[in-house]
Amino acid sequence: MNNIIIHAIIRGTAQNYLDPGSGSIIIQLIIGTVLGLGVVVRVFWGKIKGFFTRNKGESDLVLDPTTVVEDPSDNYSERSE
Amino acid sequence: MNYSAYSTGGQEGWSLLEKVNGSFRDPSGFMFALNGQLYRQVNEKYRQDYDLLMNSGLFDQLTKSKTLVSHKEADLALAPRAEIAYKIIQPAVVDFISYPYEWCFNQLKDAAILTLSIARRALEFDMSLKDASAYNIQFQHGRPIFIDTLSFEKYQEGLPWVAYKQFCQHFLAPLALMAHTDIRLGQLLKVYIDGIPLDLASQLLPAATRLNFGLATHIHLHAKSQQRYADKEISQDDMKGHISKSWLNGLFDNLLSTVRALKVKTIATEWTDYYQSNNYTQASFEAKRSLVKSLIEKVNPKRVWDLGGNTGEFSRAASEMGIPTVCFDIDPGAVQQNYDLVKKYKEKFMLPLLMDLTNPSPALGWHNAERDSMQARGPVDLVMALALIHHLAISNNVPLFDVADYLAELGEYLILEFVPKSDSQVKKLLASRKDIFPDYSLKGFRNAFTFRFEIISEEKVPGSERTLFLLKKK
Repeated sequence: MNNIIIHAIIRGTAQNYLDPGSGSIIIQLIIGTVLGLGVVVRVFWGKIKGFFTRNKGESDLVLDPTTVVEDPSDNYSERSE
Repeated sequence: MNYSAYSTGGQEGWSLLEKVNGSFRDPSGFMFALNGQLYRQVNEKYRQDYDLLMNSGLFDQLTKSKTLVSHKEADLALAPRAEIAYKIIQPAVVDFISYPYEWCFNQLKDAAILTLSIARRALEFDMSLKDASAYNIQFQHGRPIFIDTLSFEKYQEGLPWVAYKQFCQHFLAPLALMAHTDIRLGQLLKVYIDGIPLDLASQLLPAATRLNFGLATHIHLHAKSQQRYADKEISQDDMKGHISKSWLNGLFDNLLSTVRALKVKTIATEWTDYYQSNNYTQASFEAKRSLVKSLIEKVNPKRVWDLGGNTGEFSRAASEMGIPTVCFDIDPGAVQQNYDLVKKYKEKFMLPLLMDLTNPSPALGWHNAERDSMQARGPVDLVMALALIHHLAISNNVPLFDVADYLAELGEYLILEFVPKSDSQVKKLLASRKDIFPDYSLKGFRNAFTFRFEIISEEKVPGSERTLFLLKKK
């Protein structure tokens, strides 16, 4: 299946300032299918779990450093000057 | 793209301002320093993406979580290249610029997790992280922070992650090699400035890693795919529509769990149990600590470097006073222990880094100017070298005069602990070799160091044969 896609997209030139690399794109196409499916399954599973535990994937939020958490110990002033 | 510290060399046409090296690749903008302040020019070309970053809520989300460096907009008249300028911004300053080959395993791992988390978060705001260079991460206040404001672009439906290869080379390959082959392979990042080539990583990793889904795909298969399609060209238009957002989220999640699963065993190397196994008594240790503390208070420095600082026992005398302190050590185990402490106690002024002082980080990259040498990132007000000198003078055969020359270039003040030949640690170093160091004595030390330094104070460390000096550069 992927062969068709791969052959369809191997033409022309990329416009990025970073060269993503042809092989790197192709491997993404191949594993993306598997991994994308994994996300669907996980979201679905999380919903089932959340229904019973009322704990909506909280642990994942704690692990994600880009989550905004109010931390009272964090009240240092930014040394920006 | 990335920036290093201020460039020191004046460049042609940049009389008042200094171009900051390492940020020249990205057509979206560049860093520059003007009158001691650090700025970034955002080019007209990047206008739409910049506005989207600022207005979509992504910038707020990332700066509030302290994961992206904050900035304020400055006067557009400062633009060094006004004809292509859209904005001038002034980013918050990072205390010390460090590089991936100076980080311990857990620092590189946290930097990788941050990069992926930002990529995933950006996608929520319809933006894509176009750059996954490890040099875009710095450590500030004990935590990794993303420093390249211009790494975000509008997400285009259907396109793959353009920085995937870069992420694998900069983060996944070195982490996997350190975890599965040898912790020292992190040093390959010094040779390969754009990350470890995946075919090399694939060869060096043990065969068993092919059974790990993440490593099998992102490194082994990825390397094979690169080889097979090396000379094929792919157009963006053709790529469109093939990879959906949920594919990308799946990719980020899988990379995250692959990275999270990588661990190094507690590295009990040479120095990690130094304080337990050497002949310091608890009382003598405490006395040395309070002595060091009083000397630091006397100097009252703005920045401190502790050379050979092990797990940071004595660096903390400085960092606990709120002084940004870098603790360098040669031992990855000690650096990692130190970093784990920083995280555990949320310490804000301690930065543990890996450094071999007999071969410190050189200037690297294009023009030898993309990454600064260790020395170019100094000098600082105060350098500490506690129980270090015998390693430089005896293990590494550096004459005391040369040690003095070098240390004088790193800092204004120096707290140095002299360890005499009668000390058990030095005896150990001399046990298996001929003593070719007739000048290695307290007298010889004073003689060599007073060429460069003035002795402000000297005191015996109670309960030991060692002497603690406070020296000031002449």
